[in-house]
Amino acid sequence: MSSNEQPMPPTVIEVRDLVTHYGTRQILNGIDVDIVQGEIMVIMGGSGSGKSTFLRHLMALQMPTSGVIKILDQDVWGLPQKGLFNLRKKLGVTFQAGALFSSMTVGENIMLPLYEHTKLDRLTMEIMARMKLEVVDLAGFEDLMPSELSGGMIKRAAVARAIIMDPRILFFDEPSAGLDPVVSSQLDDLILRLRDAMGMTICVVTHELESAFKIADRITVLDKGDILFIGTVEDLKNHPSERIQNLLNRRSEEAEIDADEYLRRLTGDKLEAEGMPR
Amino acid sequence: MSERANPNVATRFFDRLGRTSVSAIEELGRYGTLLVESFYWLFLGYRVGQPVRIGAFFSEMMEIGVRAIAIVGMMAAAIGAMLAIQGIYSLKVFGAEGHVVFGVAFSMVREFAPLITGILVAGRSGSALSARIGTMQINQEIDALEVMGINPIRFLVVPSLLASLVMVPALTFMSMMIGLWAAGTYVNFALGMSLAAFMDQTISILSVDDLLHGLGKSAIFGILIALIGVVNGFMVKGGAEGVGKATTRSVVQCISAIVVTDMLFALVATL
Repeated sequence: MSSNEQPMPPTVIEVRDLVTHYGTRQILNGIDVDIVQGEIMVIMGGSGSGKSTFLRHLMALQMPTSGVIKILDQDVWGLPQKGLFNLRKKLGVTFQAGALFSSMTVGENIMLPLYEHTKLDRLTMEIMARMKLEVVDLAGFEDLMPSELSGGMIKRAAVARAIIMDPRILFFDEPSAGLDPVVSSQLDDLILRLRDAMGMTICVVTHELESAFKIADRITVLDKGDILFIGTVEDLKNHPSERIQNLLNRRSEEAEIDADEYLRRLTGDKLEAEGMPR
Repeated sequence: MSERANPNVATRFFDRLGRTSVSAIEELGRYGTLLVESFYWLFLGYRVGQPVRIGAFFSEMMEIGVRAIAIVGMMAAAIGAMLAIQGIYSLKVFGAEGHVVFGVAFSMVREFAPLITGILVAGRSGSALSARIGTMQINQEIDALEVMGINPIRFLVVPSLLASLVMVPALTFMSMMIGLWAAGTYVNFALGMSLAAFMDQTISILSVDDLLHGLGKSAIFGILIALIGVVNGFMVKGGAEGVGKATTRSVVQCISAIVVTDMLFALVATL
């Protein structure tokens, strides 16, 4: 090792041989992923690729069929209840639709983790909530109800809630979903700012290529429960695999199917069974 | 053709019967688990740093109990007066109108007050609980609680269950008093018996057991309303339509459970 080489940051999320079945259907086929401290890892894939299930496993919301998930060196599914609660205090999550509690104001939503996990007085919690709202450019919105906010503002308020405990790892589920390109781009900038200013490790699940290319340090591409690719944006763009290039260019693998084959698929074997010509 | 169709019909019937039975047992299991988990969080939650918040408990008591006072009071008055009207009308045949107090006092304290209160709270709060938790479920708010390290049973269910357990008997007691007062007022009007004499006779007829009978089953109704509302809420799938279905299902199940439990309670208590 040369003296200029930076030491490798520690791994904060370690996934080994993760397998998930829904009934007889296999969703994840033995996934291995490492996410290192301070990086933005984007998990991509089309519908049904298993990315949302993978994220639910990482957030410890759903137990896999088999495999190991270690977050901050702790085996998520081997932890006792109290250990899991303590681990979750170090994680922040922003859900696709924000998941703000509709019966609480924006400020109350943001203060909830503090109220539940700390013994801070109300004034301190309010000050902290205002600080986080400033980070997400929503200063002054603390007294509004979530129903009074736009889609982009709800997501930013959800980010403020997710970072109120200064988590070490932040998860985003489809941050750009339902947002116009300008707001989506602002949210991408916010994600980058959180990584740079607060040193958080960020894991983003998205299917938006533009957003992924803008924010990712590394990208994991999932397809039908398998990992197709893990690496940097440049490596992904230059990857020789036709399958990956099809995914990147949003080309269906079956785009060039012939008309006869298409008709056969629609009608099944009925035409043949009835002796009709195809 | 029919030879082939019949076994299929039978197979389908038994298949459906089996699935329905399994899902019914599964649902019963959910009620049991939820009740046990609720008591766990109530008594031992503080050991894992998750105590039940007293503020949430009072807020639920306000919602389930205090805000239901007006409607429960009105219905109790109507039922009390109705019992007196029907009692006097039926006893007139035997010239025994003066004995109407017996019928009214027993019926109101042992049956009607707990039943009408249970049904009204089920319609108001059981459905509201189901809708609230169902909406939270589809908006991923329950998931959000979990990832914040907040147990949803402790945070959402225990305060409602506890409030229901306290407020349904409290409302029932109020319902008993208002029902008896309304009956006494009608008896005073119809038979000229003073309200004081009516109440005096009522107190001498009723025993503490009668009062406990009514309050005891109302406590069970309270638990049933909260559990049914919560389980239906957690089972919501498929958006707003799912919430609507769960709310309806919750009210129907609550009222059915209340009536059946009432019958069983009466049977056991009078053996």
